[in-house]
Amino acid sequence: MLRRLAAAVVVALASATAEGLVAQAAGGAPATGTTVTYDDILQGLSDPTRWLTYSGDYTGQRHSPLTQINVDNVHRLSPVWTFQTGTMTRGRGFETTPLVVDGVLYVTGSNNLAWALDARTGRPFWQYRRNLPDDLTYGASAPVNRGFGILGDRLFMVTLDAHLLALDRVTGGVLWDVELADYRVGFAATLAPLVIDGKVIVGISGGEYAIRGFVDAYDPETGDRLWRWHSVPSPGEPGSETWPDDPDVLARGGGGTWMNGSYDPELDLIYWGVGNPNPDYYGDDRPGDNLYTNSLVALDAETGELRWHYQFTPHDLHDWDSNHVPVLADIEIGGELRRVVMLANRNGFFYVLDRTTGELLLGTPFSNTTWAREIGPDGRPIILNDGSQGCLPDPWGSTNFYPPSFDPDLELFFLTARETCATFVPEEPEIVPGRSSFGGVVWIDQEQGYSALRALDVRTGELEWEFEYPSPTFAGVTTTASGLVFAGDHEGNFIAFESATGRDLWHYQTGSRIWGAAAMTHMLDGRQYVLIPSGTTLVAFALPEERD
Amino acid sequence: MKLIPSALLAAALCGSPAMVGAQTANPYDGNQAAMRAGRALYATRCAECHGADAKGISGPDLTMLWALGTDDDFVFRAVRDGVSGSIMPSSSAPDTEVWAMVAYLKGVSTVSPVETDAGDAARGLELFESTCARCHRVNGVGGRLGPDLSRIARVRTRDVMTREIRDPSASVRAGYRAVSLVTEDGLTVRGAVKREDAFSIQVLDTQERLQGYVKETLQEIVSPERSLMPAYGPSQLSDSELDDLLAYLVSLVQADPDRR
Repeated sequence: MLRRLAAAVVVALASATAEGLVAQAAGGAPATGTTVTYDDILQGLSDPTRWLTYSGDYTGQRHSPLTQINVDNVHRLSPVWTFQTGTMTRGRGFETTPLVVDGVLYVTGSNNLAWALDARTGRPFWQYRRNLPDDLTYGASAPVNRGFGILGDRLFMVTLDAHLLALDRVTGGVLWDVELADYRVGFAATLAPLVIDGKVIVGISGGEYAIRGFVDAYDPETGDRLWRWHSVPSPGEPGSETWPDDPDVLARGGGGTWMNGSYDPELDLIYWGVGNPNPDYYGDDRPGDNLYTNSLVALDAETGELRWHYQFTPHDLHDWDSNHVPVLADIEIGGELRRVVMLANRNGFFYVLDRTTGELLLGTPFSNTTWAREIGPDGRPIILNDGSQGCLPDPWGSTNFYPPSFDPDLELFFLTARETCATFVPEEPEIVPGRSSFGGVVWIDQEQGYSALRALDVRTGELEWEFEYPSPTFAGVTTTASGLVFAGDHEGNFIAFESATGRDLWHYQTGSRIWGAAAMTHMLDGRQYVLIPSGTTLVAFALPEERD
Repeated sequence: MKLIPSALLAAALCGSPAMVGAQTANPYDGNQAAMRAGRALYATRCAECHGADAKGISGPDLTMLWALGTDDDFVFRAVRDGVSGSIMPSSSAPDTEVWAMVAYLKGVSTVSPVETDAGDAARGLELFESTCARCHRVNGVGGRLGPDLSRIARVRTRDVMTREIRDPSASVRAGYRAVSLVTEDGLTVRGAVKREDAFSIQVLDTQERLQGYVKETLQEIVSPERSLMPAYGPSQLSDSELDDLLAYLVSLVQADPDRR
């Protein structure tokens, strides 16, 4: 394979015909000369040999139609190969979701490494490593990356020094490199770019610093910026009335947009989560709801204009970002088929919204939080405990960015819930560009925390079943049409459950916590693979091959 | 919380930053303003792994560094250079900021030696051997079910040691929580939980055997939120006996003050 690639690279250098090269590099696949089109991404997971966007398709459901691995045989699932990245993720996890096209995996890693891997063996074709500056800000505290976007023969990747890159997927070479924002102020980027028709959509990290968040669209060919939407309004703009009349406060109001959004191609709307206001825990200098922090926003994909928003946590004081994968589905509510967007929020509530209008259809707690237990008729949470009535969910929240999953046949929403106990002590920070400004400290009772995989009925938000983990967990969830849920825990187990019942059917101890990642699954040579990043490794599983 | 820029910190506290470059002694040792600045710096750069209270989450407990014999310079170099083979990174922060963090950490360290005139260490030794040594080890002798107590008087105040003897279940360190298991053969096993995940549990049993179990093979797992150690109230251990025992534990570190 490597020899074949080496020969292919020579061909590419000589003739610069990349399309034929891809076919040769794809491990014996027919020379189809395939490139990935917008229509391909639009088809989602209908071609089971591919996984073309972070969640598998634009809905964010992370639900595979594959059925080879099922409830009856998953106990035979076995590791096929392990890829060692050789790079550690200080304080965080290996959070990526690989993409796969024609038997080649495209994988981003921590510290802005990336690879093209042979999906049959885990052996690398190429490695990309970005030379990072030694004065990273947010990117130093979270040196992670969640994956590539793909279009044509280009891979799109964001960086810890807040750039967006286009890489040649055949060679890993950089085709263009644009700066999203100045990392020295506090910006970084960690998400997997969302590719839609003629646009690469990205958000920005750094809400713990004095930054102002945004969502951007870029031209995939040139890297030119097509539009920018700011997550904190300018003075005089709608939403600015929810902030103090102080341009300096607005200019550093936070509102990171650091997690992947979803897309409805029919409505041509992008759904994106917005993070905490800054300072995180100290709010005396930013009275008001602080829009559009801690909100879900629907943006016009063509122009970036705001169509609607819903704020989950007005005037947040607990770092309960709303940076979650929005999950789109069409479900029957009250005898009517509704286009909805669903998410389980860091504040402990599960929400269902009409994704055309933003109307709240359901908001109910999925956790044991004492912060609030219901949403009032005005659509705002009724706060019962501001922290004076006992501990609250910690700043990592009752769930977090790691992917949930939705099984449309069972109409169950699966998420990893965290039950924690924290005391917030706000203190006024000094605002210094490039220095984090949390605005206080948090005391977490380490003895009280645990997690659970929970299955929620999306019509009611009621708990159908749960499986407890002994400690707070950061693993995402993937489901398959064969009735399986793949999840994981902080102790390193990669686990398969029966979707309908929560029965644990199989597990494998990966040796390191599964943190921020969820499984990806695809077909290759008639065999279903399931991949999970854990620690410094990417592990591929499949059913044992039948041997004569 | 005030984040103090390094230049201001140096100017306000100590004069020229050049004075603090390669020194082995902390120029901010005991300086309250520096310790406050160090606390803020610690909260943003270290607390994620070492905890807001410096007692450790994924990284180690830092409140015991000095108690275990570490000095300021060692901590400074650990922050500056990182810890090889771990996820602890090196730091390019100015010396002033690192020394401020060192001053803060030293301030929260449980370093105060136990001052006691009460008690008879020789009688305490007898008590220790008859009562404690089955589970606790001192200088290589004794049991291993509980923590090694050779240097305990360096890392615990007298009040804390008293509380841990009188009411050991009030706070149980990770690795010492009691568990009672019933195996598939009907055998009851008691011990301390060393590690646990959703499917397995790793135990040091009361016979000091490291035993791993797959949970689904066990008939029962009872995990009382308490210590294996019984409470020694005044009726089990009088106040004067407690003084003797503490005097013995203090004598262990007084006899060998430099040992880490």
